[in-house]
Amino acid sequence: MKIVVAIKQVPERDAPVHIAADGKWIDEGDLNYTINEPDAYALEEALQLKEKNGAGEVVVVCAGPERVQTTLREALAKGADRAIHIEADDLGSRDTLGIAQILADAIKAESPDLILTGLQSDDLGLGQTGVVLAELLDIPHATIIMQVEVAGGGLKVKRELEDGWFQHVEMSLPALLTIQSGGNKLRYATLMGIKKAKTKELKTVAAAAPGAPAIALERVYLPERQKKTEMLTGSPAEVAAKIVEKLKFEVRVI
Amino acid sequence: MLAGALQVAIGARDLTGAIFLFQEQGFHLSATLAEPGHFSALESALLALCIVASAALFFWRFGPILRTILRSKKDVDFSLHPLGRRVWDFFWEVLCQGKVIRQRPLPGLAHAFVFWGFLAFALVSLNHMATGFGLGFLPPASLIGNFYFLFAAVWAVLVAVSITGLFVRRFFVRPIWLGRKVSYESGFIAFLIFLLMVTYLAAFFVEDGGLAVRGLWWMHTLALLIFLPLIPHTKHLHLVLSPVTVFLKRDGFSKIPPLAGDEDFGLVAGKDVTQLISLQTYSCVECGRCTEHCPAATTGKVLNPKEIILGLRSYLNEFGPASDTPLLTEARVASPDNPPEKYLSMEAAFECTTCGSCEFQCPVGIQHVPVIVGLRRGATNTGAWEDDYGTKLFLALEKNGNALGLSAIERDKFIQKQAFPIFDGTQEYCLWLGCMGGYDPKGREIIADFARVMQHLGTSFGVLKKEKCTGDPARRLGNDLVFQTLAENGLKAFETAKVQKIVAICPHCVRTIATDWREYGVAPEIEHHSEFMARHKDRLPQQTGESIVYHDPCYLGRYHDVYEEPRAVVAKAGTLVEAPRSHERSFCCGAGGGLAFLGEEKGERVSHVRARELAGTGAQIVGTACPFCNTMFRDALTAVSDAPPQLLDIAQLTARALTASQPQNQSEQQSSGGVQ
Repeated sequence: MKIVVAIKQVPERDAPVHIAADGKWIDEGDLNYTINEPDAYALEEALQLKEKNGAGEVVVVCAGPERVQTTLREALAKGADRAIHIEADDLGSRDTLGIAQILADAIKAESPDLILTGLQSDDLGLGQTGVVLAELLDIPHATIIMQVEVAGGGLKVKRELEDGWFQHVEMSLPALLTIQSGGNKLRYATLMGIKKAKTKELKTVAAAAPGAPAIALERVYLPERQKKTEMLTGSPAEVAAKIVEKLKFEVRVI
Repeated sequence: MLAGALQVAIGARDLTGAIFLFQEQGFHLSATLAEPGHFSALESALLALCIVASAALFFWRFGPILRTILRSKKDVDFSLHPLGRRVWDFFWEVLCQGKVIRQRPLPGLAHAFVFWGFLAFALVSLNHMATGFGLGFLPPASLIGNFYFLFAAVWAVLVAVSITGLFVRRFFVRPIWLGRKVSYESGFIAFLIFLLMVTYLAAFFVEDGGLAVRGLWWMHTLALLIFLPLIPHTKHLHLVLSPVTVFLKRDGFSKIPPLAGDEDFGLVAGKDVTQLISLQTYSCVECGRCTEHCPAATTGKVLNPKEIILGLRSYLNEFGPASDTPLLTEARVASPDNPPEKYLSMEAAFECTTCGSCEFQCPVGIQHVPVIVGLRRGATNTGAWEDDYGTKLFLALEKNGNALGLSAIERDKFIQKQAFPIFDGTQEYCLWLGCMGGYDPKGREIIADFARVMQHLGTSFGVLKKEKCTGDPARRLGNDLVFQTLAENGLKAFETAKVQKIVAICPHCVRTIATDWREYGVAPEIEHHSEFMARHKDRLPQQTGESIVYHDPCYLGRYHDVYEEPRAVVAKAGTLVEAPRSHERSFCCGAGGGLAFLGEEKGERVSHVRARELAGTGAQIVGTACPFCNTMFRDALTAVSDAPPQLLDIAQLTARALTASQPQNQSEQQSSGGVQ
């Protein structure tokens, strides 16, 4: 089975984010980049599927500037067989459709049996790229996947729904799945993997020029801090009842 | 009767006096050794045949071992430097038997007597064989001969008594460290040694040239020639190898050698075993000192350092030094003629706290820790080691740069809260926080208190803006990729900040920065806070009253050779109490080797054993000098004692007097009430 994993490189989680001078994007100068976490789980799922089936190929694809090659090398070190770097320095000016389009262009030539990607990105968190990519490739997709099993000629997958519910879906191949974090245990990079990765193929392809974006980015800004204090009054029993109500319906944690 | 006479001889200070005593009691004793006299050509030929047969048998067995050692992989970092240290080790450990005696005084001394006796007998034996060909060069009647044979006789008595004692110990006392299996070969060899001595001594009591002396002579000869071929395949091989091993062992305590080339991932298979490891493996005398002091072996884990070395030896005997067969049993396909060896297993290798007690105790120069870490490297660098906690730790180090897996922002917040200045090149010291000092609540208390001590002393310091783990847990768990990344990152950080001197509260950080990082560059000078405080001890407040038991951290003591400095600091803070096992023989807290981050231990917890020992001293305070020991004892002391002693780092012990000295004017506030 040939599996393509579409990954994204994102700023490290605890990186101090500053807004660029033009207010349209973040200042990338000081940031350290890493693999998008759900994509790391997508890669892990692909590697495990390959290991379980004893055969196949895992190809990782990533769009972005030259720095994404570090993330691709890491993916190769963890066990991917080949990597494709879609060269694009203007990721900020492409919308989801635009990015899905350049991914689709690169993936089409591979004609994989299965495409895996994280259900969303740690930076923008739109959760659309995978779904749009499936549409562009004209293949079925399933989102928020916890488990994947190869059954007959197709797949049996477990989707996460709300409130602790799960949906089990059977689907045919080729297909695209967006993977939820935490379904598997991630592996650590090894010295042997890094050494082997040096001899693996990392192909660079140019991205098509961006078309007019369907969604334009107006302004990027840091979350604004809000402080709201509300005093609850009444007898202890009344205050307790009010707290429970607020936790249930406003904060929605119980 | 003979035994009685021998006892007199031992007791007598003046040997001639003793001989005079014998004569008075009517023995047929001459002060000279009797010799058989002339040997016929046939007898000489027979002797030559026996010698050739014995030597041939010896080399027939020793040859393959020597070939295995020589055909093992070359040590890339092999060097005879520093020669002075090697000569000293040879003198102290081999010739003086320093380690043998120090760790087990009575059996050690018995062993030393046998060893020194063997040395004294070298000339005697050579002359003995030479007389068989009429070539004796030490005539017993000559002045030198007379003196030397009497000198050797004293040794013969000491050897005979010692070997009897060692025989009794091995076969009747039977300490478990010698192994559960009774070695009949050892018994037979002890008998041969005894026979050698007795036949030698008896020759003082018989007539020159008689049948009796001829009989004794042949018995002595045969005992010697039977002994020789028994050496190579028994633990007595250490007679031949251990002097070489002690001289050639890798310089530096627990030194982990660099990996050589793109195909080296540590000890994966026989082909990765280096000549030094191979030599050390065959030198093992199976005394079990390593096991006796091992925190894992003595608390019910699978790991047994002696069996790791012996397992490696069996492996080399079976598969040879060029083999591709995996060393660790989990990675090997078991077959009936290749049963899994539980000791040379991944499970055992990952139970080691790298406390280094084994290596420290070993009298024949075996360096266990590099072997165990080598096995871990082989498993981790290839991804064969699959452990949930281990993976979590490595991912945390990859992603967050600290072993606790917390966001670097947490460290920033702590620095801001403590108002620690950022190191900018103007301060004298760079204060290294480490993962514990930067992220762990108790570690932070220690750092904060040490910072107050530095302020009290007027020493300027700053902390790095960004700091990642030194890579110690990755290094000890065999993850060279993470270790290298972190080491290079750290070296760059110090270089960019132009740091000259570093001080740290964690002995693991000190060791890793000062020694392990050397593979990738040279770090600035680093010292442990105990060394810093001891240097300024005259300016630290003197406290009295409370008894403090000091626990030697492995990485400060055995690894860094610092024992007295923290004691000097403790002595300023109260009355120093020693634990039953202290200094070089201190018992591990269980946290080292990355084990602080792994899952629950098998058997009894190492930390509980040590905590019980520390609490058992009755001291009011347990003083530590390592944040990892501290964190281990925090839980352990409460678990083992209803009224646990207080637990404080040496920095806290000092800093509490600084708080207490401030409100001195308030008469109610006594120094003892000033803490916590």
